[in-house]
Amino acid sequence: MNPLPVSDADIHAYVDSQLAPKRMPAVEDALARDPALAARVTELRQQNASLRDAFDPWLDEALPERLVAGAAAPRANRQWMPSWVGMALAAAACLVVGVGLGWFGREISLENDGTPITFTRQAALVHALYASDANRPVEIWAAEEQRLVRWLSRRLGFQVRAPDLNSLGFALVGGRLVAGNENPTALFVYENADKRRLTLQVRKPVNVGHETAFRYAVEDGVGVYYWVEENATYALSGNLDRGQLLAIGRVVYGQLATLEAAPASTAPAATPAPKAPDAMPVPARPPTTAPVQKLS
Amino acid sequence: MSAAAADPPLPAPELLAAIPRMRRYARVLTGDATRADDLVQEALARAWEKRRLWAAGTDLRAWLFTIMHNVFVNQRALARYERNHVSLDAESEAAHGWQVPVRDMQYTRVELSELLQHVGRLPVEQREVLVLAVVEELRYEEIAAMLAIPMGTVMSRLSRAREKLRAVFADNSAVPPLKMVK
Repeated sequence: MNPLPVSDADIHAYVDSQLAPKRMPAVEDALARDPALAARVTELRQQNASLRDAFDPWLDEALPERLVAGAAAPRANRQWMPSWVGMALAAAACLVVGVGLGWFGREISLENDGTPITFTRQAALVHALYASDANRPVEIWAAEEQRLVRWLSRRLGFQVRAPDLNSLGFALVGGRLVAGNENPTALFVYENADKRRLTLQVRKPVNVGHETAFRYAVEDGVGVYYWVEENATYALSGNLDRGQLLAIGRVVYGQLATLEAAPASTAPAATPAPKAPDAMPVPARPPTTAPVQKLS
Repeated sequence: MSAAAADPPLPAPELLAAIPRMRRYARVLTGDATRADDLVQEALARAWEKRRLWAAGTDLRAWLFTIMHNVFVNQRALARYERNHVSLDAESEAAHGWQVPVRDMQYTRVELSELLQHVGRLPVEQREVLVLAVVEELRYEEIAAMLAIPMGTVMSRLSRAREKLRAVFADNSAVPPLKMVK
């Protein structure tokens, strides 16, 4: 048997793991007989490995908001406007938001947690993307809550917690990691009996020392309550009315404050204990409304 | 909502998941981070416009790459024309786009940065095939279809790119020089 001689293309296919199986014996035979050829294959494989090592970290770059927005359907298609008008508007809006958001201009960060537009808009987009996904809104389901919380804490670099909203009729569905503009964001998804979903997003604040009170914004029909603490920034989003969302926000805030106050007992493998609770700046409480009632 | 109902939407989570790879490919094409993001944004807009052409269930990444490649080629042709045939070769345009922090792995930071610099100096046609084949691990046939070029062209571009990189690093290497195998 004397198959086709081994070609240059065979060698490339071999190192790229896409050689047709029927060519394999011929190539392996040639490699066994020709040390120079074997050395070349080794060299090409090393080259492949270093190329992957060089290029793979690029995937970990945080996504600029304008590209996250690009993953959502352009508004033009939902509006009365002719599509080119919508496109132009979207492009103009993206320009305003996106100017200066290059890979290397990080010091000029548009993503300040105190800036309602960018932070809430991203929170609403993320909410819209994942909460609407019936089958796979989360990466890890609530059945593995401990693993989920451990994983997210590790990725965010501080202890995150999933508040228990069962008393309000919302059960934890699960969570996932989401690319934020600057810092990775943990996303927790909750659902009630009517299949309405809420999301809580947590991330490290970009600017330390910019605590804010509760703030509210509506983005694309999604209500977002957000607040910034010393250690973390939170956004609670849902297609609920403002009063319901506010009530839930108060519960979330209260639970997190309590958990922060007793880290050692409730979180066995906790990361370094957060600061004493009394040192934590307390956001101005939202205006007192009716006591939290069961939401349906 | 009526128009959106007529055209089924693209799967947003998958689209979002594809963006980091689109950015990487765009950066390989343009050699510049800001222009890369412009290109991705443009390609995403085209993808939404042409979403009827995407066959659900097929590889979304490959489809997006194809769109982006076409946008890039068209923009480049236009830029060439507008600049009265001023060359846009890789040497001049790759200046700062490749300087990204690389993580320490089995190689030193310096070596990886150096490698990226050399990839940046390859002609765009060669570095694009190299990255699609090696880093994105696409099959040669897929690359040929994506770039609308014959398989033989894919192979020769890949071969030249590899040979150039090999030559650059050959000085420090004990590996014997390449011998053409026929």
